Order: sequence, then C-alpha cells, then structure tokens
Amino acid sequence: MLKGHLDAIVLAALEAGPAHGYAIIEAIKTRSSSTFDLPEGTVYPALHRLEQAGLLASTWTTPAGGRRRRIYSLTKAGVAALADRRKAWGRFSHAVDMLLGGGRAWPA
Amino acid sequence: MASVGRAGMETPSEKHAGAERAGAIDRYVTELRHELAFDRVLAERLAKEVEDHLRDAVDADPAGPSIEAEHRAIERFGLARDIADQFAVDSVDRQARRTWLTLLVAVVVNFVAMRLRIMWLDDSAAPALAPLIDRYGFLAALAVSVVGWFAFRRSLLAPTLCLVGLTASIAAGVVRAGLFDQGVPPLVLLAAAGELALLGLLLAEVVGFGRRLCRTASLRGAAP
Repeated sequence: MLKGHLDAIVLAALEAGPAHGYAIIEAIKTRSSSTFDLPEGTVYPALHRLEQAGLLASTWTTPAGGRRRRIYSLTKAGVAALADRRKAWGRFSHAVDMLLGGGRAWPA
Repeated sequence: MASVGRAGMETPSEKHAGAERAGAIDRYVTELRHELAFDRVLAERLAKEVEDHLRDAVDADPAGPSIEAEHRAIERFGLARDIADQFAVDSVDRQARRTWLTLLVAVVVNFVAMRLRIMWLDDSAAPALAPLIDRYGFLAALAVSVVGWFAFRRSLLAPTLCLVGLTASIAAGVVRAGLFDQGVPPLVLLAAAGELALLGLLLAEVVGFGRRLCRTASLRGAAP
C-alpha cells in the first residue's frame, strides 16, 4: 500500500527544504513516528523518477569539511504536484474513513 | 574513517577493521554498479549517492562506526538486485520512449527524402526494383510503427522491424538516387545523409532498448 504513495511521501519529506537521500529517509521515519520504516534503498528510484518527471531538482554539493552529497529540492511543478496529491489523499482517506467507520469519520 | 590510535597511528586491529569496513561498502557499491550496467551514467551517479548514504548510516549508528554497523546499514538499504530492478523498469520505459521518438523522426525524414528523390531524380537508370523497395520498405516501416506504437510499445520486435524496413528503403533510395553519380542535387544528398545519420541513431537506440530489456528480464530471472 505504501508503494503507491511513496512519490507523495518523498515530495512531502522535501517540503521543509532541500535534503540528501539519507536525510529524506530520516525525515520520513521521524515524521511517521517510524511507521514507515521502508528499505532505505527504495527511496532512490522514487527520487530519480520524480527528478525525471521534473518534480525535483538535484545538485552535488560539498559542505566545508564534509562529504560530497546530492541534494534534492522541490521544483515549482513538484510543489504543485504535492498540493494535488494532498487533495487526492484527503478525498481518498475521507472515503475510506466513511466506509470503515460505517458512515461516520473513523475512528469516531 | 577508522579510529586513530593515541600516537596518531592506526593499530593493526584498527587497520584490519578499517579495511573490512571499507570492503563491505565497496563490495555492495560494486555489486550495485554491476546490476545497473544497463545504464552506465545512472550506475555511476547512483553508486556515489549510495556510498555516501551508507557511510552516513554507519556514522549515525548508535553503537558507533564498526563492521557490524556497516552490515546493518547495508541490510537496511536492501538488496542491490532489488534496487536495480526498480530502476530497470523506469529505464526500459524511458528507453522505449526515446526509441519510438527516434523512430518517428526517422520515418518523417525518410518520407521527405523519398519525396525529394521522386521530385528531383530520373529513375530510368536505376534498377527496376529500387523505387519499389524504396516505397514499400518505407510503407512497411510506417505500418509496423503505427501498429507497434498502439499494441507493442514495450516490445523490441516493432522497432526492430521498422529498422529493417527503413534500412531497406534507405538502401534502395541510395541506389535509386545514384548518390555516387555526378549531378545529384545537394538537397537530395543532404536528405540522404540525414536518413543515414538517423538510421545509425535508431540502431543505437534499438540496441540500447534490447540491452535494457535483457537486463530487466535477467534481474527477474526470466528469459528476455
């Protein structure tokens, strides 16, 4: 189930600002209270796919005294895509809540 | 980095641990690079990113950097083959799009070149079959392209058949134009040169498409 939403999760993780792959994984873990403890490697195909789609941009940077890292950031199209996916998720989760909660928001 | 002894020199056991630690990450990155061999640019880029990721993970391990921490980081990252498999699917799709785009341009250029030959050249000296092969090779390539685009976009067969059709058409066109004779209009020569260049590009794209399809099949343990 998570796989279908991985792209949106990665976009959301980058909403706070540019980050490298390892930091993105950590952000996903922290913001989901470790609920989404996915194999770390799975985030890289998503990052690459989103970059190819123009939703992310990336660049190599070398902080002073640090290791060279590829930093990803949201593009304008990425910000718009995240807003769209949020709306779609809101509709979807509301519908599931209605179904599972027997017509009331669930959990009540 | 391996820890350094009091005198600023690594002890033998630290040196051994450091070598093993570097070895595990290096081995994993080499394996990943091998699994991603279908796209060398991607393989090089990802190898560097993954190495950085794993070293970050080792440095952030609660127990501190160690061989065990390195193995834990690799385990959390996932199998190289599984990562490559996810990239392979995207890579096949991208290569399929590129191949079909090249094919489309090649078909259009072939059509323009064919029309130019009809307009500018006298076919009387050409072999009788050349104009027929020129025309029907092109039409066959066009038909296969249309059917392939709608029904077999991720199949290697359609672009390969198109490549054969276009090659036949262009070869016949070259014979028909008598390109090595004197007095051929520059526009016809230019169109033929464009056709040949695009044919080479299309061949490279089809070969690249085939390599990616084979690699994807191999990653999934199936015949291509």
